[in-house]
Amino acid sequence: MSQLQPTIELAPATTPAARTRLRIPGWPALLLRNPKSRAGIVLVGFMVIVALIAPLISVSNPTDFNLLAARQAPSWHHLFGTTDQGSDIFSQVVLGARRSLVLGALAGLLATVLATTLGVLAAYSGGVVDEAVNFLTNVFLVIPTIPLLVVISAYLKSRSMGTMIVVLALTLWAFEARILRGQALSLKNRDFVLAAKVAGESTWRIVFGEIMPNMISRIAAAFVLVFYVSLLVDAGLEFLGLGDTTHVSWGMTLYWAQTNSAVLQGEWWPFLFPGLALVITVLGLTLILAGIDEVSNPRLRDEVRRRGFLRSLVLPVRRAA
Amino acid sequence: MRFFARRLAFYAFAVWVALTLNFLLPRLMPGSPIGGVLQRLSPSQIQANPGIIKTYQALLGGGSGSIWHDYVVYLHRLAHLDFGVSTSNYPSHVSAVIGRVLPYSIFLVGVAFILSFVLGTAIGMVAAWRRGGGFDSVIVPVFMALSAFPAFFTGLVAVYVLGLKLHWFPIQHAYDSGLVPGFNWAFLTSALRHSELPILVIVAAYAGGWVLNMRTVMINTVGEDYVAMAHAKGLRDRRVMTRYAARNAILPPLNGFAAQFAGAVGGLVFIEYVFSYPGAGLTLQQAALGNDYPLTQALLLVFALCVIAANFVMDLLNVLLDPRVRTG
Repeated sequence: MSQLQPTIELAPATTPAARTRLRIPGWPALLLRNPKSRAGIVLVGFMVIVALIAPLISVSNPTDFNLLAARQAPSWHHLFGTTDQGSDIFSQVVLGARRSLVLGALAGLLATVLATTLGVLAAYSGGVVDEAVNFLTNVFLVIPTIPLLVVISAYLKSRSMGTMIVVLALTLWAFEARILRGQALSLKNRDFVLAAKVAGESTWRIVFGEIMPNMISRIAAAFVLVFYVSLLVDAGLEFLGLGDTTHVSWGMTLYWAQTNSAVLQGEWWPFLFPGLALVITVLGLTLILAGIDEVSNPRLRDEVRRRGFLRSLVLPVRRAA
Repeated sequence: MRFFARRLAFYAFAVWVALTLNFLLPRLMPGSPIGGVLQRLSPSQIQANPGIIKTYQALLGGGSGSIWHDYVVYLHRLAHLDFGVSTSNYPSHVSAVIGRVLPYSIFLVGVAFILSFVLGTAIGMVAAWRRGGGFDSVIVPVFMALSAFPAFFTGLVAVYVLGLKLHWFPIQHAYDSGLVPGFNWAFLTSALRHSELPILVIVAAYAGGWVLNMRTVMINTVGEDYVAMAHAKGLRDRRVMTRYAARNAILPPLNGFAAQFAGAVGGLVFIEYVFSYPGAGLTLQQAALGNDYPLTQALLLVFALCVIAANFVMDLLNVLLDPRVRTG
């Protein structure tokens, strides 16, 4: 069976592209045609729209308290119920989408730039540089991230979004650097790279002009992965009480729910809605990630065709970190 | 042997990085945290223990001496396991606090991690063996969905549904209030009961990874010639599955052991917080919130050492299980 596989794969890998003409060229079109990433884009797009129109649909200042309306279950007046202070949870969840999305995107961007530069440069340079970067990456990988972040947050005087973005990017880049280095290693001895070298191109030019464009799908996947891991970790840290208490975010709503023992008092709404918002966002990003993998790896597309869309949805290619 | 020595050198270096990171972190932050610690100490505490300020200066910086001098003092204190006094548990020493809470965490993460490994690989094995069957189509997606949820959210839902509404499990703390920890029947049974739900949640959150890894690798080994040969020999189906297909599929998932463990150790902070389970994770969260820097520093070191040790054990196992590693 394993020997037969290449011949089976070749056909489906080329035919769909030839059959349906591309209207939007390049990456977005490919991702929109893949059912998984399309579902993911819809979910994340929904959250982005919610974040954009948040001020229009949020009822009031979400931290306003009104003790007369405290601890109310969801109703038409308060769609997601109220906190123990009587704040409207719907407004908190809707406005909270902004922090998670912006923080995740920026931390993902920063970590990806770091991981790509270090990983690809290391692989291409080889020798001592490669050894050093590889060593550094491995050391970062054995130091447990969450406890490290808890301790760093404890030392931080300001827990603003900018600070958290830098801290998250600096602690999460190593996972991606290792994968990107591996990918670059396999590319560095290809003919087109050697040709560029012979033509006298500079190292930077070869790294950024020749190698990197050929691993763009891996880089995009790295970005999405750090995107959702960092927004998840940020919400987690806020949930632990290591966030800025004046902020409105999913993590803070969860934190106040936990601090006021909402669950133990039988109140499900203060943790269910922000939790579901997190799950929807993370699920959407995971699906986009699975889609990127499928688009760039025809073998996985084959699996979808054989097993049907719904089953392939719940069997993501990669696991959440 | 060379492989062994190289790995050992790497882990020694990793331990040194963890130690030094611990030393540098408070010094890199704007504004030394020493002021916060000293504020929390009352004058009588300082009087009763004259060396206390020097200890904290060595741990956190802010002293008048040079950073190199501080570093030597810091290493010297660590060598004697002297982490100072925990400011939020005064007058307990940090090492005493850790000694009290660590057994709970080791039990929780130990049992849950082994359970999720055994359960996850077994499910992955059967799912790959009967690929596309009822088991593969129902159980596997359920575990994948569970592992996609943030562990603390799964924990909160479990507390609400299984604990509060259905009354199946106790939902808070590690044992019934009124019991004194010790080796007696009443305490041990109570502690066991209280660990059930946290363990269940950790297994739900982490088994999915094992299921997927095992299933992916095993799907390939099922198609190998030696499996067909075992069938042709007339061996029982079960034997072919466990001794031929699964045995050759187990190594790649096992290689993810250390990374999975690091994830589970990190997740422990959230799980213990959700269940108010008095282990190292909850203690870390409370120490971080209460600016008890000596305690956070020591706990970070403990967590890092655990993960480094897990990596090392994994390397040893690998040598034992995979002859290719031995011969290079």
